[in-house]
Order: sequence, then C-alpha cells, then structure tokens
Amino acid sequence: MREEVYRMERVTYCEQGVALLENFSMAIWTGEILGLVPANHFGLSALLRLLRQNLPLHYGFVYYKERLVNDWRFPCTGMNRVSTNRVSIIQNQSCLAKDLTVADNIFVLRPGFRKRLMQPGILREQLKPFMEDIGMEIPADAYIEDLSTFERFVVELLKAVVAGNHLVVLEDISTFISAAELEKLSRILRHYAKQGMSFLYVAAHFEEAQQICDRAALMLNGQIIKCFGGAEKPPDPFFLRCTEDFDRHVRERMARQDRTETGPDHIVFRMENLCSGLVENLSFSACKGECLVVQDLDNCMIQELVSVLSGGTRQKSGSIWINGTLSGGLNDRRVGIIQELPVHTMLFPNMSYLDNLCFTLDHRMKGVWGRGKIKKSLRREYAGLLGEDVFDTPIERLTERQKYDLIYTRIFLQDPDIVFCVQPFKSAEVSLRIHIMELLERFLNRGIPVVIMAVNLADSLALADRLLRVGRGGTVQEYCREEFAALPVNTPWLYLYQEGQGDGMNFQTRSRDIPVLRQ
Amino acid sequence: MKRFEYLSIRVMALLAAALCIHLFLIAVLLFLAFMGHAPFWPAILSLVLLLGLLWWFGAMILKPYLHMERTMRLFLDGYTTADLTHLCQTAPTPMVYQMLAHMMKIMDSSELLKLNKRQAQYLALQNQINPHFLYNTLESIRSEALIAGLTGVADMTEALAAFFRYTISKVENLVSVEEELENCQTYFRIQQYRFGSRLDLTIECDPEEREEIYGCRLPKLTMQPILENSIIHGTECKIGTGHLTIHLERSGKRLLIRISDDGVGMDEEVLSRMNERLGRSGQAFASQGSETRGGIALVNVNNRIHLLFGEEYGLHVFSMPGVGTDVEINLPAIANDRELKNKEALK
Repeated sequence: MREEVYRMERVTYCEQGVALLENFSMAIWTGEILGLVPANHFGLSALLRLLRQNLPLHYGFVYYKERLVNDWRFPCTGMNRVSTNRVSIIQNQSCLAKDLTVADNIFVLRPGFRKRLMQPGILREQLKPFMEDIGMEIPADAYIEDLSTFERFVVELLKAVVAGNHLVVLEDISTFISAAELEKLSRILRHYAKQGMSFLYVAAHFEEAQQICDRAALMLNGQIIKCFGGAEKPPDPFFLRCTEDFDRHVRERMARQDRTETGPDHIVFRMENLCSGLVENLSFSACKGECLVVQDLDNCMIQELVSVLSGGTRQKSGSIWINGTLSGGLNDRRVGIIQELPVHTMLFPNMSYLDNLCFTLDHRMKGVWGRGKIKKSLRREYAGLLGEDVFDTPIERLTERQKYDLIYTRIFLQDPDIVFCVQPFKSAEVSLRIHIMELLERFLNRGIPVVIMAVNLADSLALADRLLRVGRGGTVQEYCREEFAALPVNTPWLYLYQEGQGDGMNFQTRSRDIPVLRQ
Repeated sequence: MKRFEYLSIRVMALLAAALCIHLFLIAVLLFLAFMGHAPFWPAILSLVLLLGLLWWFGAMILKPYLHMERTMRLFLDGYTTADLTHLCQTAPTPMVYQMLAHMMKIMDSSELLKLNKRQAQYLALQNQINPHFLYNTLESIRSEALIAGLTGVADMTEALAAFFRYTISKVENLVSVEEELENCQTYFRIQQYRFGSRLDLTIECDPEEREEIYGCRLPKLTMQPILENSIIHGTECKIGTGHLTIHLERSGKRLLIRISDDGVGMDEEVLSRMNERLGRSGQAFASQGSETRGGIALVNVNNRIHLLFGEEYGLHVFSMPGVGTDVEINLPAIANDRELKNKEALK
C-alpha cells in the first residue's frame, strides 16, 4: 500500500486579506517526484511558506505522513507554528553556512546533533558512504563557498537525507545548473525516490518537469488546475492558453528571416581565442541584428565572460573586436550588459527613476547629471513608452515589469553596439518572459545584436537566430535556426520548430550533419 | 451610535475607559512618588497588576473571542457545518452556548441526511416510480425482445433494469467499491448504445491492491453521477472519441477515486467557482432548493460525503479547457460499516 507523504486538501490561504492559494489540493506519494509547473508565480511563495510552516489557514487541511498537521479550525500558533513536517526546500538562495565545511553542514548543523566535540575524521567517514551512494566526489572538508552551484545543491540534498526529511522541494533549479548537471541531479533524485523519499520539483516548463518527474501539476493563479502523468503528452491547449503570446512570437520570428544581416561585412562583434579562467579558446562572432544564444553546458564560464566583457577582468589571451576595433575594457559603452536577475543587481534604490534611467548615458550627452533640461526632455520623450507615473515612483515600489522596463530602456538609451544578456528569463513568470522577449526585440529591430548567455535553453531559443553550445575546453557546437528542430534536448517550443520544419514553409533544412564542431 | 447596539462594543468601550482610569491613577501615584509625597511601591504594584490583568485579558478573553468571531465568520461564509460549540471552544454566556448547541442539534448532519433522503423519496413519488412495476415491465420487454430475436434490445433492457434496481433501492446504504463499479459499468453499457465506439471506459487499479480497494465501503451512487457528468458535460460535446478513466488508489487511511475524461474541460474561472461550491458545503445546505446552476450532482455527492465522513473528505475538480476534467473523490478507507463515525446517518 502506498503512503502519502504530504497532502493539502482544499487549502485557502490568505495574507493581508488576499487569497494567495484558493482551493489548493495536492498530494505527494512516498517515492514520488511530483512536478509543479506554475503558469504564473501567484501563490507560489505562499505555497513554499506553507510547506515550511504550518501557518494559520483560512480554510483547508494539511496532512503530513497521513497525520493532520494543520487544520483551519484549530490554527497553530506560537512555537507550534514551526512545522513538524520534515520538509527541506532547496532554492538558489542557499540555506547552508558558507564558512563551514560540507561535513559540518550535513552532520553538525542538523536538529538532534548533541556532540560537543567535533571529530572531522569521523564526519569524513560518515559522509563517505553517502557520496559513494550517489557517485559524487565532494570533499568533506571543502568549504561551501568554494563549491559550484550544482555541488551546493547536492550538499543540501544530502543534508535533507541525513536529517531524515521525507519531502524535498526543489525550486526552479534548472536555471542555475547546466543540462548535464541537471541530468546527473535527476539520477540522484531517482535514486533517493527509490529509497522512499519524495520530491516536489518546481519547474518553469512542462517539458522539463515531465522529463524528471512521475507526475506534473499545472498551477495557475494559486490553484492546481490539472495533473498529468509522466507518460502523457504535453497538452497543446495548455501552450495555446497560457503561452499564446510566446507561440506567436516564435512563429513570427520563424516567418521573419530578413532582419539578420550575415556575412563578413556585417559582423559587429568578434571574439577570438579568448582564454580567461575556465574559458578556453573561445571564438564566436555576432552580426548586425542577430540574436545569438551561448549555452554554457558546464555552468562554469558565464560569470568569467561577463567579467571580461565588462572590463572587470583582463583576459589571459585572445581578443575582442567591436566594429573592427578592440574592446576598450572598463566602461566601454559599446557593450551593454544586462546582468542575471537585473532587478536585484542593476537598480539603485537610493536614486530616482530618472537617474537610474540616465545611468549609462554620460558618453552620449555631456553633463547629463548637471543639466535638468536633458532629463526633463527624456522624461517627456519616454513617458509614452514607460508611463508618466513611474518617474515619480520610488524604485522599491515599482512592479517587476516596470523595473525590467527601466533596465532595458537604460541599455537602449546607452545605444550599445552589442548587448549581452545573462539568463534574461530566469525566475520570471510567463507574462513577464513575453515582455522581456519584446524588450530584447527592440534591440534586434534596431540592428543591435543580442547575445543571450544561459545555462538552460528554456525560452532563449524562441528568440535565437543561432545557438552555440559551449563546453569545457572551448568546444563549440553551432546550430542555425533551421537546425533547432533536431536539437538533442527536450526544450520548450521545440514542437514549433519541428512544425516549421515539417511545413517546409518558412525555411529549408540544411543537409549537413549536426552538431558542427567548430573547435 | 449604531455601533453601540452590540454588547461586545459596549464591553470594549467600558474596558477602554477602565484602562484609561487605571493608567491615570498610576500616573498620579508616580507623580506623587516623584514629588516625595508618597512611596513608590503603590505605583509599581498598580503597574504590575495592570500588566498582569492585560495578559490575562489577552489570553483568556481576547484570544478566545477572536477565535469565536473567526469561526462564526467562516460558518456564515458557508465553509463549515461542523459543530460550532466544539469549534468555538468557548461561548460568551451559558445561554449563548445552549443556543448554539440547540442550533447544531437542529441542523444535525444525520438529520440533514434524512432530509435529503426524504426529498429523494418525495421525488420518486412525484415521478410515480414503482420499482417493482418498473422491473417487471423491463423484464417483460426483455423476454419479448429475446423471443423476437432482438438480442441488442434484450441486453439494453437488462442493463437498464440492473441500473434501476441498483439506483432506486436503499439509496442511504454504504456499498462496496466493487458494487459501485459494477453499476458504473452498467450505466456505461447503456450509454454505449447511444454513443457506440465514440466512448470508452478504462478502470485502473493496482492488481496487488485490487481486493483491498474493491472491498472498501463508500456511499451508494458516489461514482455514477460523476461518470454521468463526465459523459454529458465532458465528452458529449467533444468531437471524436471520448476516453473515460476511473482510477482507484488507496493510501493508509484514504481511498482515492479519480474519474477523468478527455472532454471539453472548463476554464479557470468556472473551475474555481466549482471548487468553491464544493468547499463551502454549508452554503449549499443553506440554499437548498434555490440552486439552479450546473454541477448539482457533484455538489450533492460532496454534501453526502461531508455529512457521513466529515469535511476532511469530499470532491475536488481539476480541469483545463480542451484537455479534460478530473474529479477526485477523497474518502476514508473503511472496509466495514461499523467503522463509520456518523452511524446515525445510516439508520
């Protein structure tokens, strides 16, 4: 007989009078990996909070291991609120102590650890079988801050295993680790699932959830609308309904092939045999109006590349050419860089909206900071595009969409020759992803090439003209748009490329074999 | 001034006034102590006394009062029909407690169930259905059909007779999952005469657990109305073959039955409304008879489950337009009628 690890029965959960979860019903069985695909992020953080703690419910029941742990009629208060359910949540934001070792984090920082004297040798020995069990080799004495993102996830997972937690929630982790690492992680999850652990895997895309999970549940506006078995085909109407705009974008781009101007005369950006840190002999170029996606297969070079491009680090060897001249390093305004999660990293809350907007405009207009006239004129010009109210709103009070508008318009005003965008769709809900796509298209329509750097293809492919899959040692596999349909990965929107290929209307498939190894 | 018609507001106002007076007295005592006209200890003692009283007031009066208010609000919103005297934990006065107890007695769940039953009997009477007359007539039609060599008509009549026999007799009983499934199959056979190969039904159950699951008890006519709903609202409007699935699963304490169709489905708004109606069973009882919107069968089955097994069990709907609808029935896994908590309801 199977056992339920966690069940939420018709849960309605409110915060400040707003129902964040409404009639939310979900059950996770022992040894099951349940995928959760939120079409929007409404209620998702509330759900994670409820998994962590038995917060007072407006209505509904929560069961952990078939025992009622949260009842709307008798809300838990005070100390009881701390969940007795043994649930671990693994997110991008680590819950590990960075200054402690792997073994300390796994064994010492766990409830019930009573020893007063640590014996690193014993801890090392204790960790060994766990590592062997999953075929990983993370040194027990390594400090957390020295680990890669993937290794950190594995340590968090082991911490949950050692603590005896029966349910582990993994939130949107595919945007932080590479495809190869994801495959490895999937094997580890399967291994522990066989031993009776259960997982709730929050994924941005249905395909990804289906690849890893036994079942996938679709969440919309704080309620689960449908569950699908692992073998069931992704429901087309789902895409049509929730991602109609996305489909439209991809189809439009497939039909419009004239924007990219290829050929040696149109090359705007060229990187030649660049070596820096883990980046080895990397060469690629981008043409006018081209959208190039650079996928970091091993999740090890994006930060290094960004650092070199922004002039923060000097490359060991190789060169970067922009419009025929060498890149000027620090403060070279010809390169526009949009960082990962830009709303957290590229805005200055202490500055006004207009100052944030003009931040990289100094090279175009002298004295932009001193002359209010320029700013006033900018405000008039961009009020139609950004809205009049935003200029008087403090940065913290802007909506996520308005923040993205501000950042992308800032780079647009900078008028760079090329834009590098690090994981632009990361942690963004469907409607926001569509908007980001539109913002990136603004650059492309102006003829500015956009280079999207990502570890996971996800939505990036929808906009791409060309894809470079870069591995360790500088190996590059190049795919043109016509070849996307044959990509050896299960990526969203692939069916559209396959449709396009089947139709034979929009483009013709090249006859040469893929992948093409350039290095 | 209308606010003062409530006793709670008057008590609050009185307590606020008492608090102000007490604070004023403490201030006077402290002033006198600072001026050297009186010792400090009366002021400190008053302050400690006040803090103690405030703590006691918060823990013993305010907290239970707020809990009671919240429970009553949810009761009024239709979220629950459970015993208010039990849920509120405390009552303002003994008379109010007795009144609540009396009110709950009036709307006792078993009484409600009996009322439901009486309504069903009344409807049967209204439709002039005499079960024996109906079975006999159907049997006659069947024999005539067999004599005439119309095996199709004979089979259909047999299925119809079996369906009526099950449906009309002893509606209040608990039955086994196996019996309920048999009735579903009979009903499906009848529908197949209409839809032909456009409709197919699959019953999924782990073979190792089949015996255990099939022996579980559930209220009669729990699955068939939902299956009927799936056919009529789900697959009938669909172009092409409709696939219906009954999936049975058992955990330690629960029996889970999922009836799925790949029909037209419903949009998020309708789904939300449907689940809200299923969640607020209290509202359904309050508006009995006046309800005219769709999904009556689901609400009815859900109400019966709530009354028999408690609010923890019931129905939940999952659906997507163009993909289909799943109705999940959540029941306690009981193998014997004696395990039922609300046995009164079956008498």
